[in-house]
Amino acid sequence: MNREPKRVVLISSSPKVSEESTSGLLTTRQEKLMKTEGLDVHRLDVRQSLMKRRTEADFEAMLHADALVFTFPLYVFCLPGILMRFLQDYYAHWTQRQDGAGGSRIYAVVNCGFPEANINQEAIRVIESFSRKTQNIFRFGVMIGGGGMLLGAQGTPFVRKIMSELDKAFSLMVEDIIQSRKDAVENISIAVNFPRKLYFFMGNKGWVSMAKTNGLKKKDLFCKPYSNF
Amino acid sequence: MQALIISDKEYQTKIFTRLNQMLSKSLTVKGFNVKEIQIGRNDLAFCKGCFDCWVKKPGECIINDAMAQINYDFINSEVVVYLCQVVFGQFSANLKNSLDRWIPNILPFFETRRDGSTMHPARYSSNPKQIIIGYGDELSDEDTKLFIDVTTKHRQNVEVLIYQGDDAEILQVFDHLNLKKVGALL
Repeated sequence: MNREPKRVVLISSSPKVSEESTSGLLTTRQEKLMKTEGLDVHRLDVRQSLMKRRTEADFEAMLHADALVFTFPLYVFCLPGILMRFLQDYYAHWTQRQDGAGGSRIYAVVNCGFPEANINQEAIRVIESFSRKTQNIFRFGVMIGGGGMLLGAQGTPFVRKIMSELDKAFSLMVEDIIQSRKDAVENISIAVNFPRKLYFFMGNKGWVSMAKTNGLKKKDLFCKPYSNF
Repeated sequence: MQALIISDKEYQTKIFTRLNQMLSKSLTVKGFNVKEIQIGRNDLAFCKGCFDCWVKKPGECIINDAMAQINYDFINSEVVVYLCQVVFGQFSANLKNSLDRWIPNILPFFETRRDGSTMHPARYSSNPKQIIIGYGDELSDEDTKLFIDVTTKHRQNVEVLIYQGDDAEILQVFDHLNLKKVGALL
């Protein structure tokens, strides 16, 4: 007898409006893998959901999912405000229903522009807290350092390596969902293997280049428009 | 002397009102001119991660809304107090959005702190003393601990307090804080 495939909702949570985002790239990777493995995958975008007033339908899809995967960038050391808005609204929706919906498995994939992956730890704990309050089951998080390079340096050997590590982490996620595993899984920490000094040098140079394309000089980056002292 | 109190319009609970009144009074008694900004759901657009505040119009967000005044007031205050309902162990959405859009006040460049972690340096040589007060009626131990970690682990110069209704305790701690500008160490 064929069992119904497990339903997964992938929640891509980049605040970016139309530009390509690292979270979008990672969500696409998860989506492909999960579909290949026979999961029933529904994908949503937090900004689109909020702006196009689709939250009711998206929240219902989330309530009926076996698993939810939140993929987002770290903003000022934690979840972006737009994702907090989505979670608060989901919580209000969940509370109104009062039917005890819950029991979905929850995963978080957080990427940070700083090279250290562990800086994402508190953001993972916020998703864990959200899971507890909505009676879902937090399983594990994937913490990514140097996330900005995933888009900017696609195809380079160090990004190929990190992508391969990410694929392993996403495969573990798929296995965890399909087998409904109950054993504890540690958060996974993945960082670009790239010399820190060079990472800083390239990053800092990148900001100056971007400013120049906007007609600014390096010194303009330091301007102090609000200084009254 | 200017003091700024920033709070979330969505969480104007009884406990918030008491806390806000207490601190506002305490700051006034200390000689501060107190400005209060309450951020509602529709007051600020979401940060869109464009970084134009760093590379197109350095120091200013390109979105034209109330955030420009908030960032101006931030930089020109001696002390800024954030009153935050603790939600899932972090800032509520409206306050977090204002923090996301606070980044014009820092520079894009990467630097290493003394503890080895990465940071963006301050744009201004003089910054207000920041006091973050998390409040809530029935905060779990996990959420309280998480809120303290979220706010202190990656910041060097903030005071973080938790308020769950004990007026005497919060006032005693608040009254002993040094409410002066902190320089460029964020």
